[in-house]
Amino acid sequence: MLSIKNLTASINGTPVLKGIDLDIKAGEIHAIMGPNGSGKSTLGKVLAGHPAYEVTGGEVLFEGRDLFSLAADERARAGLFMGFQHPIEVPGVSNSSFLRLAYNKKAEAEGRDELDPLEFDDFIHEKIKLVAMREEFLDRSLNEGFSGGEKKRNEILQMAVLEPKLAILDELDSGLDIDALRVLGDAVNRLQRADRALLIITHFPRILETIQPHHVHVLSGGRILKSAGKELALELEERGYDWVLEASAAGGAR
Amino acid sequence: MTSMVVGSNLLVDLLSGPRPAEWASLREAAEGRLEGRDLPTTKDEAWKYTDLKALAAIPFVAAPRATVDISAYLLPEMVGTRQVFVNGHHAPHASCASAVPAGVRFLPLSTASEACHALGTVKNGVTPELFEDLNSARFEDGAVILVPKNLKVALPLHLLFLTKADTPIAVFPRVLVVLEPGAELELVEEHHGEGTYLSCPVVEVRLGEGAILRHERVQRESPEAFHLGTLKAEVGRHGQYHSRTLSFGARFSRQHPWVRLAEGAEGTLDGLALLDDQQVADTHSFMHHAEPNAVSHQLHKCIVDGKARAIFNGQVRVAPGAQGTDAKQQSRNLLLSETARVDTKPQLEIYADDVKCSHGAAVGQLDPEELFYLESRGLNADDARNLLTYGFAADVLQRVPVASVRRALRQLVMARTQAASLGVLA
Repeated sequence: MLSIKNLTASINGTPVLKGIDLDIKAGEIHAIMGPNGSGKSTLGKVLAGHPAYEVTGGEVLFEGRDLFSLAADERARAGLFMGFQHPIEVPGVSNSSFLRLAYNKKAEAEGRDELDPLEFDDFIHEKIKLVAMREEFLDRSLNEGFSGGEKKRNEILQMAVLEPKLAILDELDSGLDIDALRVLGDAVNRLQRADRALLIITHFPRILETIQPHHVHVLSGGRILKSAGKELALELEERGYDWVLEASAAGGAR
Repeated sequence: MTSMVVGSNLLVDLLSGPRPAEWASLREAAEGRLEGRDLPTTKDEAWKYTDLKALAAIPFVAAPRATVDISAYLLPEMVGTRQVFVNGHHAPHASCASAVPAGVRFLPLSTASEACHALGTVKNGVTPELFEDLNSARFEDGAVILVPKNLKVALPLHLLFLTKADTPIAVFPRVLVVLEPGAELELVEEHHGEGTYLSCPVVEVRLGEGAILRHERVQRESPEAFHLGTLKAEVGRHGQYHSRTLSFGARFSRQHPWVRLAEGAEGTLDGLALLDDQQVADTHSFMHHAEPNAVSHQLHKCIVDGKARAIFNGQVRVAPGAQGTDAKQQSRNLLLSETARVDTKPQLEIYADDVKCSHGAAVGQLDPEELFYLESRGLNADDARNLLTYGFAADVLQRVPVASVRRALRQLVMARTQAASLGVLA
């Protein structure tokens, strides 16, 4: 589904990604972990098409297409989704209208029927149950005055509405209490299917207890230092990141 | 004010016409102050950014009576609480005050001579602006609103000023609002028009102790119009005056809101201006914390496109002894083109020491992070820009309490921000 080869990227001329290789197949869940400033959020933003980052080398294929030939909105309509660490607020634009707009843009791109407000109303009421969101949040302005946790809930609701092929979730756990984390983790699991893939970007291993990855990668200094199965997450929880960094410096972590 | 000649006979022409009957002393005083004065020029500090040459070049004359179909302007909440003025003259057949509660006086000035003594008495201690004096000298009619003690008026009142100009005319709408102690009122004041004209409205507000006025002001003058408005509000102890001025029309508009807060009073002067082409919108506001423990809020937003220009000068004065003052002022501006321009300036004069005064001014483009967020949900760059622009304005509109006004303004803003096709009305 996603094939990243020797990807390098920089922001304001400063290299942040220094050669990333990663393959994600349909049905897989991958976790990118790493200390703060490692470049893991950058990877998500580069894949989603954030304009501040410049891709300086390498290649990314998404479903066989050159990802970088697509603008951010085209990537979204092609089935890539990024759940933001800090979702933005848009006053005056109702959450449900925005969700319908996003849904219809994607439906239009896929040649499916668009939903009118009444049809969408039925559709969205099923979806909010999945993330246990209260109905009033549909009528409020997009993310306006939402708490950190409510914003994250809304991100997963957007994911449920857009049903992406590949979802990148950047620090989903930040700002969430333990119960909300379980609810959203379960929702993400239920959205996962054999023809979809997930890339979880996280600093803390806790979320990986609910969303269990097949592969865990440690990113630091703009490179993947170590890749292994989900047991790596447990090891990181116990031992922190330093041992990976040290082993890598000694040339032995791979 | 200097007497720089701008080659204009505007004042001479307008003042040489007949002086309407009544309020003779008010008119004479204004005429006296106008004697020898001419339009301000950009050499006057307060008019530095706003050139009146185009105004001076047009031969405006006193406005004749006219009839206008008002059906498009009726608001469902206020069909029985409206007074309509066309070209500055009262339009009795277009007005309807059948739902105005007993005890409330909501009348044309021309039939309310008992309001004579109150008119022109809200004074801000400085020489009136030239356009205010011009109004006092030549207004034909206007509205008077008197709400008795402790009466809370449930229905909003609607003041509609329409101008229809086949040739350039000048209109001088006049409004006096007096709320006795404890009274409450919601007022919607609208200005619409067609053609080339000069509109110089003056609104005087006096609120008794604990009285509350919510005042929505909608300026949708014609694209060829000049609108130079004065607002003076005196707020009594623990009274509240909340106004929102929404400017969409006129090639040139200038607002002079002035508010004086007594002890414990609360004042709001919010504003939104949506400008394009060569439009100029200038707001020079004055928030006067005259006594202790008053609170004021100002949020002024401008969206400027094309070669348009917005000016905001927000003066806040905290008088000696006005301890416990809490004053907030925000000027936020969105530039949508390379040639759009904003000049914004807070002006704080604080003569007391135990006060909280904050102000901020921001001029910028849409935030790339916000655009990226929307694009990452599949909206193309244009749609994302339009939606964020709409949201910037809707932030002010969503606080408008009268539903039909709020809806109409949202539709207007959607159309102007090309967000209408997105169908995302909150």
